[in-house]
Amino acid sequence: MRIIKLNSQIKKRFIFLLIIFACFSASIFLISYSLKDQIAYFVEPTDLKSMDGIENKYLRVGGLVKTNSLKFLDGKWIFEVVDQNQNSVNVVFSKTLPNLVEENKGIIVEGKFIDNIFIAEIVLAKHDENYMPQSAIDKLKEEGKWRGN
Amino acid sequence: MFAITPNTLSNFMISLSRYIILLSLALISVSIFLIIFLENDYYQGISFKIMFIHVPTAWLSLAIFLVMGISSIIGLIFKSPTAFTVARSLSPIGLIMSIIVLVTGSIWGNLTWGAYWVWDARLTSMLILAFIYLGHILLLHSFEHFQKADFAASILAIIGLVNLPIVKFSVDWWTTLHQESSVLRMGGPSMTNDYLITLLVSFFGIFMLTIFWFSNIFYIIVEKRKMERSILLND
Repeated sequence: MRIIKLNSQIKKRFIFLLIIFACFSASIFLISYSLKDQIAYFVEPTDLKSMDGIENKYLRVGGLVKTNSLKFLDGKWIFEVVDQNQNSVNVVFSKTLPNLVEENKGIIVEGKFIDNIFIAEIVLAKHDENYMPQSAIDKLKEEGKWRGN
Repeated sequence: MFAITPNTLSNFMISLSRYIILLSLALISVSIFLIIFLENDYYQGISFKIMFIHVPTAWLSLAIFLVMGISSIIGLIFKSPTAFTVARSLSPIGLIMSIIVLVTGSIWGNLTWGAYWVWDARLTSMLILAFIYLGHILLLHSFEHFQKADFAASILAIIGLVNLPIVKFSVDWWTTLHQESSVLRMGGPSMTNDYLITLLVSFFGIFMLTIFWFSNIFYIIVEKRKMERSILLND
């Protein structure tokens, strides 16, 4: 095996690459930091409180469908999107819902606020990172450890 | 370590490749068997089973880029032809892997979210990764001398390394439609053990297939260069 000599050439190349990498990652960091509101896919109902001029602005709001709020009235779906701080938004949607939209499950609604009611044009179901079979849930329920619905 | 010539590495990998492909086929068959007989997810039903292709290929497309980036750094600093050839033979595999991730992800997304594609941080950064792989391949083929091509493509691979943590942590840094990581996360995996074992078996099967594929591409490149050299010498 050859012994690697850290001669000045190798050092020079190393510093050259380090500078390229550092400059590029710093610029990417600055770009993504200044655009973080645009990169975020949705806002939560709590964030809406501190935003002004949300009326008539195209927005995406995400959270959970509030328990006992999902109703079908006059050909429209009506439900509330709630987040961890219990702030909620009333949503009206007049098309077909995705299959996985259920109460107490994740949802993202896209549309506008008109008179404090969110008129959704697109609704997406957001599932979380937990996967388990029904049998595992039944077992957890028997042991009293299940905290879902 | 840097004294390994492309020829030695190629012969070593080709001598092992028959065992690697057998192991890969065995693991993939076991994982197909496991996936078929696995119980469905309580919420997503059968559509979650596409995860057993989507997640291993996603891990591999990130891991392949990491290896490509590191070997590009070694290649540039130590002028090692072996490291450059490793990077050169990995990028087509990475491109195919990232295309599989995007396609299976779209199918899964349409079944669960209700949309094939959205422009959230995870999906967009993954698409950028696929484009960097494509750019790497195009750069490698746009020079007459392979040494120049290797130099240009390595710079792209090193710059592209910045994208890796963005892909991995995009779901934690920004709000996304894509769910968070289930296995490589704080507090352990968020799936039951039978799912996790199936996922790991499937991952190692595809991983072995990747190594087999890589050693074949590497062998072809080395043999092609030998042939070109002998033609030049005979002229």
